Amino acid sequence: MDCSLVRIDLIAYQFATIADDDRARLEAHLVECTTCLKIYLALKGAVDRGDGELPSEATRLALRGAVEARFRPTLRRRAGRWLTRPVPLYQSMCLVAGLALAAAVAPALGQALWGSTQSHSTERVDTSRPTAESVTIY
Amino acid sequence: MDTDELLYQRAKQGDLPAFDELYTRYAARLFGFVRPQVGSRADAEDIFHETFLRTLESAEVRFDRGSFRTWLFRIARNAVLNRARGAGRAANAFVQLRAQDAVPTADEQIAHGEMMNALSVAIQKLPLALSEVYHLRSSGLSYEEIATILDAPMGTVKSRMHQMVNVLREELKPWTAR
Repeated sequence: MDCSLVRIDLIAYQFATIADDDRARLEAHLVECTTCLKIYLALKGAVDRGDGELPSEATRLALRGAVEARFRPTLRRRAGRWLTRPVPLYQSMCLVAGLALAAAVAPALGQALWGSTQSHSTERVDTSRPTAESVTIY
Repeated sequence: MDTDELLYQRAKQGDLPAFDELYTRYAARLFGFVRPQVGSRADAEDIFHETFLRTLESAEVRFDRGSFRTWLFRIARNAVLNRARGAGRAANAFVQLRAQDAVPTADEQIAHGEMMNALSVAIQKLPLALSEVYHLRSSGLSYEEIATILDAPMGTVKSRMHQMVNVLREELKPWTAR
């Protein structure tokens, strides 16, 4: 097939406005003809924006700075967001387990501490008042 | 992967990594849409900056009336049109100048190099209505999205697309016939 007849349709093929018969004919040709395939790929590259030029780095930084200045939340909002942030499940489970353990241990621990304080207080010697043993008669 | 709309909401709350992700997704396509339609790179960068910021700031952006990228390109289109109206004749003169510059020289003998130059010239010559369709479609937007951005019926978009392709086809004929 004459390459020029195919190449004329490449732009319509790229924009998918080509008739079905012509598309089939063109695709069959592209499989066989490397030159036309290269031309099509070059055309596609020129039309598609995927690997086009980018704005300068200065523009990116200026825009990022503007977004930060415009939308950065206040300290209060950030603190509120931190407090209300979602907590992962394993962290929640650790917290609950820790609290349960503390609740289980606390009475026994409290009793032990309180009990030892109580026993100490009974053993304490009241020196404010003289006892029979402490009174020395000269 | 997070949707554009989710990233947009997060960016509006000051989440800079979300903004960075949106930027990565759209910088090349948006700049590729704006750059060929305005005179200078500096103007294109101004419009690019303005478009991104306005899309984030605008209260009009509602996703029941179009996706994030539809809004982004709609705002970019308006910014380009406003700039072109402001620039007036100067912009047209520049476009013509660029078109003349893009004509291949005698040294450019590589077949598809010539064709690409011819394509570049042909795109510059497209009337506004067809040029818009070309640039939007080249930015990866669907017919539906283009219809939303242009606020035109789908039939109009399809018709313009065919017209655009026919114009380019005719312009490229001398190069493709070789």
